[in-house]
Amino acid sequence: MSDLDRAIAQLRACRPIPESDVRELCHKAREILIEEGNVVTVNAPVTICGDIHGQFHDLMELFRVGGDPPDTNYLFMGDFVDRGFYSLETFLLLLCLKVRYPDRMTLIRGNHESRQITTVYGFYDECYRKYGSANVWRYCCDVFDYLALGAIVLGASNTISPSAGESSIPTTPEGDEVEIEVCNAQGEVMSRFPRPTKGTNNDLQSRTNGIPPPSNTGPPGSGASGSSRGTVGNPAGAVLCVHGGLSPLIDKVDKIRLLDRKQEVPHEGAMCDLLWSDPDEIDGWGLSPRGAGFLFGADIVKVFNHRNDLSLIARAHQLVMEGFKEMFDASIVTVWSAPNYCYRCGNVAALLELSEDDSGWGVLARSNGDVNRSDGGGGGLGDSDPQPMKGPARRYRVFQAAPQDSRGMPAKKPVADYFL
Amino acid sequence: MMAHPVPHHTTDKKRVKVYELRNNDWFDRGTGFCTAQFVPVQENQPKEPRVIVESEDHPDRLLLETKIVKDDGFQKQQDTLIVWTENNVDMALSFQEAEGCAMIWKFIDGVQQTFHNVLGGADDSLSEDLPMDLSTSTFTLPPADLANLPDLENVMRQMSNTANGREVLVKSIMEHDILSSLGNLVDMAEDVESLDDLFRLCNMTKTMLLLNDTAIIEKAVSDDCVLGVVGALEYDPDFPKHKANHRQWLSNQTRFKEVVKIEDDNIRRKIQQTFRLLYLKDVVLARILDDPTFSVLNSLIFFNQVDIINHIQTNGGFLNDLFSIFADPSAQHLRKKQAVTFLHDCCAIAKNLQPPARQNLYTNFLGHGLIRVINFGLRDHDVTVRVHATDILVAMIDHDPQMVRHTIYRQLQERQKPLTDVIIDLLLVEVDLGVKSQMQDALRILLDVAPIMPPDAREYPPNQQRLRQLQTTDPQQELLIQHFYETSAARLFKPLLELEGQTDLKFQPMQEYIFGYLNDILCSFIRQHQHRAKYFLITHSLAQRFVQLLSCKQKHLQLVAIRFIKQLVLMNDEFYMKHIAEKQILGPILDVLLRAITRDNLLCSACLDLFVLINKENVKDLIKHLVENYREKIMALSHMDTFREIVSRYDQTEGYTTNPEYFMDEDEEEGPTAAESERRPTRPTAGLMEEQLAVDQAQEEYWNSVSDEEDEAPQNGPHRTNGTTATLPLLKPLVEYGSDEEDGVAGDEPAAQEKKGGEDSSAKENGEPLVTSTKGGPAAAAAVAATPPERISEKRRREEDEDDDAFDKLLHSKRRGSNASAAHASADIRKKMGISGDGDGVTDGAAPAPTPSSADAAAEENGTSTTAESTSPAPTFSPAAAATAALSTPKKIAFNISSKVKSMLGGGNPSEPKAESTTSAEEKGKATTTSTIGKENVRIAEEGAETTSNSVVEEEDDPDAMKD
Repeated sequence: MSDLDRAIAQLRACRPIPESDVRELCHKAREILIEEGNVVTVNAPVTICGDIHGQFHDLMELFRVGGDPPDTNYLFMGDFVDRGFYSLETFLLLLCLKVRYPDRMTLIRGNHESRQITTVYGFYDECYRKYGSANVWRYCCDVFDYLALGAIVLGASNTISPSAGESSIPTTPEGDEVEIEVCNAQGEVMSRFPRPTKGTNNDLQSRTNGIPPPSNTGPPGSGASGSSRGTVGNPAGAVLCVHGGLSPLIDKVDKIRLLDRKQEVPHEGAMCDLLWSDPDEIDGWGLSPRGAGFLFGADIVKVFNHRNDLSLIARAHQLVMEGFKEMFDASIVTVWSAPNYCYRCGNVAALLELSEDDSGWGVLARSNGDVNRSDGGGGGLGDSDPQPMKGPARRYRVFQAAPQDSRGMPAKKPVADYFL
Repeated sequence: MMAHPVPHHTTDKKRVKVYELRNNDWFDRGTGFCTAQFVPVQENQPKEPRVIVESEDHPDRLLLETKIVKDDGFQKQQDTLIVWTENNVDMALSFQEAEGCAMIWKFIDGVQQTFHNVLGGADDSLSEDLPMDLSTSTFTLPPADLANLPDLENVMRQMSNTANGREVLVKSIMEHDILSSLGNLVDMAEDVESLDDLFRLCNMTKTMLLLNDTAIIEKAVSDDCVLGVVGALEYDPDFPKHKANHRQWLSNQTRFKEVVKIEDDNIRRKIQQTFRLLYLKDVVLARILDDPTFSVLNSLIFFNQVDIINHIQTNGGFLNDLFSIFADPSAQHLRKKQAVTFLHDCCAIAKNLQPPARQNLYTNFLGHGLIRVINFGLRDHDVTVRVHATDILVAMIDHDPQMVRHTIYRQLQERQKPLTDVIIDLLLVEVDLGVKSQMQDALRILLDVAPIMPPDAREYPPNQQRLRQLQTTDPQQELLIQHFYETSAARLFKPLLELEGQTDLKFQPMQEYIFGYLNDILCSFIRQHQHRAKYFLITHSLAQRFVQLLSCKQKHLQLVAIRFIKQLVLMNDEFYMKHIAEKQILGPILDVLLRAITRDNLLCSACLDLFVLINKENVKDLIKHLVENYREKIMALSHMDTFREIVSRYDQTEGYTTNPEYFMDEDEEEGPTAAESERRPTRPTAGLMEEQLAVDQAQEEYWNSVSDEEDEAPQNGPHRTNGTTATLPLLKPLVEYGSDEEDGVAGDEPAAQEKKGGEDSSAKENGEPLVTSTKGGPAAAAAVAATPPERISEKRRREEDEDDDAFDKLLHSKRRGSNASAAHASADIRKKMGISGDGDGVTDGAAPAPTPSSADAAAEENGTSTTAESTSPAPTFSPAAAATAALSTPKKIAFNISSKVKSMLGGGNPSEPKAESTTSAEEKGKATTTSTIGKENVRIAEEGAETTSNSVVEEEDDPDAMKD
């Protein structure tokens, strides 16, 4: 274990670990990941993060804002690598943390966790540069194949827990229950949105005018058709986390469990869609301009959430300038955790905190989730549930890119000797 | 149009430099703040419009006061320049900020418009098009010394903001030779420890390099400038606490190794320059490079490399010296090692070259004995040498596997140890996993010489097509494979074969990996080598060996075994199905599943995936086998749809008629039905039986010729036939649609056909009502298909677009090659599937028609499988991607498409009608894939004419058909 801690320390300093250690690490990681289902069950409290894309110093900033790993449970929704200059350190650190604290770290696969994509977008080159061979890249790609495809968060509370160190919480108008809270990197509350009463859509529009605007783009009325049933009875608010989105081939969460995920991300099919699809303002399914996956509209999300007793789908995969973006009457949210993406997009990043439900429903939900695997994720939850419909309370922490100063020179390691 | 000048002291937006053209040279009259307003000159006279510049240093002094008159010809150039002629002197105002310039210009423009009495107003773009005085005249940069640095930096920054300014700047930088003076300036600044100056120098250098001017960059990496340039870049104001050590790195001349002396100074200089360019690109400028500069750097590097490679390969003496190192027993190991590295670098560079140039290089190298080098390298004890030798080999295979195969063939002719055997040896003992996995790939590609279909004329350009046709008739390939199966295969799969009889499986960590590789190789052979692979599999009981792995502790090895079985099932080959049933292979997998089912882990998913496949494909042999032998175990799993259905499928003896959901699903699959039937190995019924018969004979000949213990197949045949015919009577009453002529045919054929007939006929029986029932639905299906989903392709953010590009690069022929209707249709289908899912929730399980999950379908179709992809390294691409690359002459992504992959694509289309005219070898190949579930055949027959017309369409759509 001390080896692992040493590796963590070294990686935290943004220094790569030796190739043999990487091999060892990947070996251990494989043993752990192989025991995970395609859809990992995660219990709240958990902090959900989107794309990182090799922006190591911003990951450090994320840990600073969200709390250090063993103390905070994290769920990373893929795309750890490519584009940034420190894909290697980023992924290896996350993997180390996963191996060190398997129950407190959840990593799921993104579309960039693939051999083909990493060859084009930098991770391959980076590994080659930093080690002089592609072996480390191969080890990592082998691990990619074992990563889970999604996660279900159970036992999330539908009330915001007081954030640590924040005693003077201004009460919301009429003492309404807070559904969404947006904090800045210092933990100060920037805006709050009370839970809408009886799910009126007008409310949804107004309550998301915060700073930065979460830009709830659920068009008025468009999603209304299916929304009334969208979050029916799920006290703990099961949240599905997946990198891209839904697939026409997957109507139930349980179908995901039937995939043999240990493979390169295919060019089509359910596994591909989960990692590549995007929500969009359309009805039904549409072709994705990405060339893989699909676009899906509010109706699809509503029906899917209803059928699977989900209160929310959390996904990443798309840059959001404000760091997060709720769509379709808050039935799906995009979380993006790479601030100033590619070191030049000028966006802020966000992470999503789901706090633990104190009422004890979470415990029940947990066992249900396991037993009824073949009946649709939290399928049993809704039936036995007397509580009224409520999505999980969500606290978004918005943060900016780490200051330049702490970033160090992102130079690649030059070749030592050259012949040509 | 009145301008209200803002007091300038609050802002430096109007900070401006005043220039005057003297002696064809722009003279700097000083820096100040500019205002433009109507100034009262004399009483009783109208106010005059004037432009005034007050000196920055002496606010009382006016640098400029000019009246705006009609003939002065004020022009705004770019964003920050205003030029005019005053008393025959050319004047210019260079603004620090575009905004300030715009404000002043608005005023001037307004005044001028009143002069000209023009309502339209001046057009900025027009004025930009006017000839630019500045670019033709020389523009003075302050002399480059420490005192002037602030000015210099300022001017550079300002000038670099506009296109014309950049042009002028480039010119004067070159004329003043600023780059050469950087070295001195840095030294001086370092001596006086003036960090500010160093930062300024760094900024200036960045500005100069980012002008993305080829001449400047070439100059910057020249011998006398480079150290100054990188020296300046060591002090980056963005990282004030860091100092890089670029100079130290670059000045170390020993980094450049010359294995064999390169005589040409020019080339040697180019090599060094290229190294510096790469260093600039990857290290020094990595963070700040913009796209234009990046491409300027890249193209410089590229052209240098072209020259270097060209020089090397045309220099016979040099090559002789180089390759003779390996023939010389007295040569030091270090020298050999370096020579390997040199060749490795050559091949790495060659990857970026145009294919013909690359071809030349490899041909040249091979002629000089590259294979000997590889042989040496692969056996070397130094791992870096092995890595490099592997890279060389893989690069060659990526370029043209046929070239390497040809070389191996020659080795065989000359009774040398073929390269494949060297690879096998290394694969078995190698400890470097990277090398190991590349060896695996290399072996797979080199031996991937299965007989292939004549290429689809549309898909390949004529020259490649010819090449491929040559390949199909190439006896060398046969020889290669024959040699492999006769002498090498058993050695390759030894680790597996040695499992026989072992009960307590324990492996060293290094040993474990080999099984994964062997699995990948074997899966590929099963897809490619048809009967040879079958024979090998049977004689060595390889399936049972894999099953043994199921009992070992390591879950990833159990996964390997499951994936192997899945590959067999995916083949949809009666022969393999029978083998699986006979050897009771699914039992252990059921056991694994039962053990894992409570855990919800990867193992569990992999098992479920397999059984879902069997159920979806309705593999009757296996379903029957499963239920007959493991009913209890399956019942224990019957809380899952898949297993419930497996049992009910068996119990109802193909109870198609009773399942209402079935009809619905069938309707919805109207679209893919045609697609699938075409994709699958099927053919018109008329020719079906004779053809299969013929094929069987051919196959049998092979079996007989190879060995005498081929009893298995014939044994299987009758046994199996009995089994199925036994169920026929049961079937008959259930099928009430019966009166089609198909019945008669189906009934007669089993008798005529000894082996496969029974199976086929039963399939027909089953399939027939299926088709009949379908007929209710097409209207509905067509209706849905008529409304294509709206196409949303806009409004993607930039980087997402890049993602798209990525995928497009990998895939685009798939999309582009398909016509719109196909795309729509497939999307529609997906859409429909989604909707149906909403409705009943029993969708996929209840659909008896084999609608494989799309990935599977694709895999099947291409003769590859996702399994293979999962472990292949970057350069080996899935067929779709590879074909894409092939079709679009990729230049950025150097994914080299092996013709192997192409052949897989070609071979994966066994349903083409014209296949009839192929050689018997191909027939053999087809036959094995053809014995798929008979249902599809029937559907074709039923739909008769439709099918043919469909098939045409389908061929065109083929790349996209994979979508479903």
